[in-house]
Amino acid sequence: MLHQVLHAFESADGPLALDDLSRQLGIERSALEGMIAFWVRKGRLQELGGACGQAAGASCTCSSHPAGCSITSAGSRVITLKA
Amino acid sequence: MATATMALPNAPLRYTAPIEAELDYLVASFATMPGLAVYPARWLAIQLLEGDETLLAEAEQLAGPALTEALEASMARLQPHYGDELDVALVDQRYRFVHALAGKSLTRPAVPPLTLSDRIDQVVTHRWLGIPIFLMLMWLVFTLTTEVAGPFVDWVDDVIAGPLSGWATALLSLVGLGETWVEGLVVDGMLAGMGGVLVFVPVLLSLYFALALLEDSGYMARAAFVMDRLMHSLGLHGKSFLPMIVGFGCTVPAIYATRTLDSQRDRILTGLLVPFMSCGARLPVYVLIAAIFFPAQAGMVIFGLYVTGIVVAIGSGMLLRQTVFRGQPAAPFVLELPPYRLPTPRGVWNQMWERTAAFVRKAWTIILGTSVVVWLLLAIPVRGEGSFADAPLEDSAFATLAGGVTPIFAPLGFGSWETSGALMTGFVAKEVVVATLIQTYAVDEEEEAHEATSFGEDVLGIVGGFLAATGDALLAIPGIIGFDLAGDEEEEATPSGLRGAIERGFAASSGGHSALAALAFLVFVLLYTPCMVAVAAARHEFGPRWMWFSIVGQFVIAWLGALIVFQGGKLLGL
Repeated sequence: MLHQVLHAFESADGPLALDDLSRQLGIERSALEGMIAFWVRKGRLQELGGACGQAAGASCTCSSHPAGCSITSAGSRVITLKA
Repeated sequence: MATATMALPNAPLRYTAPIEAELDYLVASFATMPGLAVYPARWLAIQLLEGDETLLAEAEQLAGPALTEALEASMARLQPHYGDELDVALVDQRYRFVHALAGKSLTRPAVPPLTLSDRIDQVVTHRWLGIPIFLMLMWLVFTLTTEVAGPFVDWVDDVIAGPLSGWATALLSLVGLGETWVEGLVVDGMLAGMGGVLVFVPVLLSLYFALALLEDSGYMARAAFVMDRLMHSLGLHGKSFLPMIVGFGCTVPAIYATRTLDSQRDRILTGLLVPFMSCGARLPVYVLIAAIFFPAQAGMVIFGLYVTGIVVAIGSGMLLRQTVFRGQPAAPFVLELPPYRLPTPRGVWNQMWERTAAFVRKAWTIILGTSVVVWLLLAIPVRGEGSFADAPLEDSAFATLAGGVTPIFAPLGFGSWETSGALMTGFVAKEVVVATLIQTYAVDEEEEAHEATSFGEDVLGIVGGFLAATGDALLAIPGIIGFDLAGDEEEEATPSGLRGAIERGFAASSGGHSALAALAFLVFVLLYTPCMVAVAAARHEFGPRWMWFSIVGQFVIAWLGALIVFQGGKLLGL
């Protein structure tokens, strides 16, 4: 099952939504999260962003950037194969 | 209280035979090591085989070298079966066990029920519908921005050009500085330059309101998702669109957002594309020029510019991928799409305020400073008979400096010193283009006669103007979907006194093709270097070589784009 997840990343034809991947593999979303976390710990996958995603919403700001910014929550959580 | 006991059936987890054999061996070994009695033996054996280094160190302290020997012996025997992936095998077998167990004990519907988010996603992230929906929403955003903000732009302009300028003039007269060059500096330099930019605050508030709604609802993550898919299919790194979508707001954080990409090559490539995404600072220029030359289609023109930015970014990316950054396209990725939510008024207001405040701060600092420098250069005569602050603008140091680069822009239809000068100062920040245009075009306009009014009348006029603007804005909303409640009233989202001067200027420099020249000017503004801060960010992230590559490349593309629009339009007889 773990290798199935890695294989799905390697063979995907374009970006995938996490829920779609869960349906595609027939793996519970919560189990899939655990498997992704395992591969991240092993250094085969990497996880980026997400700070402005699900939880933060409007409280997610770009005040760290002096010039200000827009559309900050576009920085959704992204999981990708590690080069 | 009645209690009941319930016996759950056992479902023991058994690993494959080689692992079970080694687990038995290790459990037996641990039984001979009294120090390890604090741990459940089988659990300890599994953890150590999985490579838990912290636990191994603790256990070694308790059991000594015998533990290490037993563990190494087990690992050696398992090596032929699992290689270096023993931990993967252990975790995988546990997931398989849980998966099988859940499958047997849970009854689920054959087709999982779709949530509301799932149903919306089926449409907005659809392979074919996703991009048209994204474009339609962006069109709606920009139409809403121009239509609703238009009356407020007029109101702010009236306040700055009328009461504020009047008060400033009266105050200067009180201290004996009326009719002097100081009055020119304050009214024609500082107030006209900075005020000309502040006039567009309502436009930015509208834009940020619409973007905040899209963002907080969770749609923007979907927009990134559908654009990722398009970019990936074109051989580009899909993740590049995440920083690019941030670039709709401001190029600077977008350049920093390229850090989310894996390789330095991808980071540099995306950093080169990000400036083509139209940032909020360019919007005042679009609104000013579009309202003058394309009043009926201002929203469509602005929307077209945003789409042009995306197309140029993708086209440039494909070209760079084939040449400078030739290599394998990056692997696809998995994106978490947050569930849709109803935006909260507080959240939307916070975003509008934060972003607009950044714009206003810039007006007080960079734009005010540049306006003063431009006014001084306009006030200093370098030829002719005039004196300081009392000479034709054509004889000024600014006109002479700007005139030096005018030939570069002549083939593009806007080869006048006014527009050349505005583009030069626009290198500092894009809002400055508006400030400079106002200073160079409007200053030599005959001042509109203002009737003398009292302070109370001014305040009443300001409040009345605001109420009228609010009414006009509300009436404009149905117009977006085709119900014109505002009648034939002309909408003019342009500071007064400018329209004629800018129209005449573009007509003169383009041989009568003023609308084409204006469109070419907008394309140039869209595509050339966004601002000095973005340049500094590019230098910081990618080094001076790529910074210069970016500046020169953007200038060449902007020049070619504007040339195609102007000369191509002329060839087509437009």
